[in-house]
Amino acid sequence: MKRRNAAWIAMVGVSAGITAGILNMLGILPLWLYAAVLVLSFPVFIIGLYLWWMAEGGKEDIPFIGY
Amino acid sequence: MIAQLILATFTGLLLLGIHRKVIARIQRRPGPPVWQEILHMLKFSFKSTWIPATASTVLFRGVVLVAIGIWTAAFFVLLTGGSLLVIFGIYMLHKIVEHGFGLSSGSPYGKFGGVRSVISAASEIPLFVSVAAIAIFTRSFDISDIVAYQTVHGPLMFIAFPAAVAMYIVILSKMPFGPFSIVESKELVSGYKTEHFGVWRAGLEVCNGLKTTVLLATFLMVFVGQLPILWLAAGMLVLVVSLSFACALTPMLSPFDSVTVQTLVTGLMLCYGAILFIGVMA
Repeated sequence: MKRRNAAWIAMVGVSAGITAGILNMLGILPLWLYAAVLVLSFPVFIIGLYLWWMAEGGKEDIPFIGY
Repeated sequence: MIAQLILATFTGLLLLGIHRKVIARIQRRPGPPVWQEILHMLKFSFKSTWIPATASTVLFRGVVLVAIGIWTAAFFVLLTGGSLLVIFGIYMLHKIVEHGFGLSSGSPYGKFGGVRSVISAASEIPLFVSVAAIAIFTRSFDISDIVAYQTVHGPLMFIAFPAAVAMYIVILSKMPFGPFSIVESKELVSGYKTEHFGVWRAGLEVCNGLKTTVLLATFLMVFVGQLPILWLAAGMLVLVVSLSFACALTPMLSPFDSVTVQTLVTGLMLCYGAILFIGVMA
């Protein structure tokens, strides 16, 4: 994945979580919907962030699959 | 909430680092620094990452997102004082996630780890019968109600001590290097997470950090009551150190023995629950 795309994914994840939090505080978004958005957006933010700052990918290999 | 989630992740990883350090000191080894688990998470996230040729790509990636997502939900339930049943439901989901981790890679080590995860679930999950004992006293499964009950009547740890022991064994089962840690035993390399490395392993470490914080905090809230944040942190530290002693001084059981011991405890808990129930009905 291109670093630029990973950065976008992380930004979308964190923006969704923060926006949902603000809307919940303002009373626009119900608590259950805020929770649902957070459950979806937090993993996306974490993995997007990691994909953004990780080292370049290598070539896939076959793991040890038994004797 | 995102800041709290990140703080909870780091707290959990720090506690896991303390866990490793205490085990090492008991066994007269220097052990890693207490922040080793945090460094692990960061180290894996910087590493070059690819997916094994034998893996199911969608499951291999997706299961990491699910793992973080479910413990995010559990943290939310804990903070909002929601139902204890939801947290236990998430614990069950985590077992399925571990199974997914193992199966997704195509490695036999991962598969065996996943299978053991299901075996251990068969005996760990019935330990949740402890909630029945709690509900007999509190008449509710909501954490907020359980906390309110303890404000009036005192900690449930003294009122329903066997239930606290059962819950303690559940947490002990999830701690690394413990007597019931059959899913990560060394003959399976790293068990279900053997082939997950790089970014995906870092994601799994985030899940582990969140899971540790949620389980320890849940135990304290359910059996001690609402604590100020510093006392909560101190309580989690004491709990981790006690778990470390249990892990350091007990050999890892074989899968059969692990399931047998947990099933015996479940049987005792059922008897305790039945006695309580008869007492209440009478």
